[in-house]
Amino acid sequence: MSALRLCEQLSDLGWDRRTREDRDRAGRYQTPEQRAITAIVMSRAIAMGASGFALTGSTARKRRTAISDLDYHVIGRRPDVSDLPGDLDVIATSEARFRSRLIDGDDFAQWTLRCGCVLHDSGPMRDGVRLVVEMDLWPNAQRKLDSLDIHRAEVERLIHMGDQDAAHEQLRAMLTTAARGLLLQARIFPLARKELPAQLERAGYGPLARILDRMIHVAPQLDELEGGLQVLDATLDTERVRLSA
Amino acid sequence: MEEERVNDAINALFYAGEAAVVALADEHEIDTKKHHGLKADAAGELHKKGVLAYDFGATLRILNQARKDIWYEGEEPELDGDLEDLVARVEELVEAAEAIG
Repeated sequence: MSALRLCEQLSDLGWDRRTREDRDRAGRYQTPEQRAITAIVMSRAIAMGASGFALTGSTARKRRTAISDLDYHVIGRRPDVSDLPGDLDVIATSEARFRSRLIDGDDFAQWTLRCGCVLHDSGPMRDGVRLVVEMDLWPNAQRKLDSLDIHRAEVERLIHMGDQDAAHEQLRAMLTTAARGLLLQARIFPLARKELPAQLERAGYGPLARILDRMIHVAPQLDELEGGLQVLDATLDTERVRLSA
Repeated sequence: MEEERVNDAINALFYAGEAAVVALADEHEIDTKKHHGLKADAAGELHKKGVLAYDFGATLRILNQARKDIWYEGEEPELDGDLEDLVARVEELVEAAEAIG
């Protein structure tokens, strides 16, 4: 994350400094192999007309885990990365869609602007920062929390089937979504997944913090996955009571 | 098909396809280390070894990206073709895995 606050990035000088720092961080936080992959993905994206390209996700925060992808946010068309090694995740949006996602309260678009390493920008990312500052945009927490019902149905289906690995992955995604929703609701911007348990703990969501931490670092049995759902239910019930009081 | 059912279908296809590749990879001593990318690579290697008639690596990568678009980003998935084509490819993959008994 840039040391500069978003409002300090609005000037030419501020934006130059931010992008210079981002390139430096991306260089330091990636292995030589990851840097090579990033260079290829970026050159392909730019060749296809991308107007913005950022390294996002845990790598941009130097918080990779054993399960981390290399994540990119492209403003433009998604380049083909099927021939490249490793787990790559390329999110591609048009300039108009990027702008509308910010205005609609999408947290991933803001994550790119707040925490990502901007490696190429001919305007949309800088415009995005301006939009966030001038409109005082904050991601929509309720949207994250509303999506939990759909996650739950899928987790329960996978647990019922006995597909431990898939259920684990789906529950981890669900708890991550819940964590992001609850933190946003508390006006705390959620960082990389590995950092969420500490953020949750500090915000008073201890049990959820501990179960998410386990889901990130260990491979739990099916009964523990069911337990994870119960912890989440209890957290959300408490939150509902707190908000209605 | 309703959007929600499409999302469920993509998840189910992805995990079924991966499970089939892992079963075949274990049989042929190819380590996938529980990484999605390595499982897709293993599908390619199984094809090179003649175990699979087709390289299903691209199928797994498309489904993995679609799954992440849906569950992590809340976006519409890009399927690069019909869902029915993906169903047929995963069915073929699962049948190959079932054949090892």
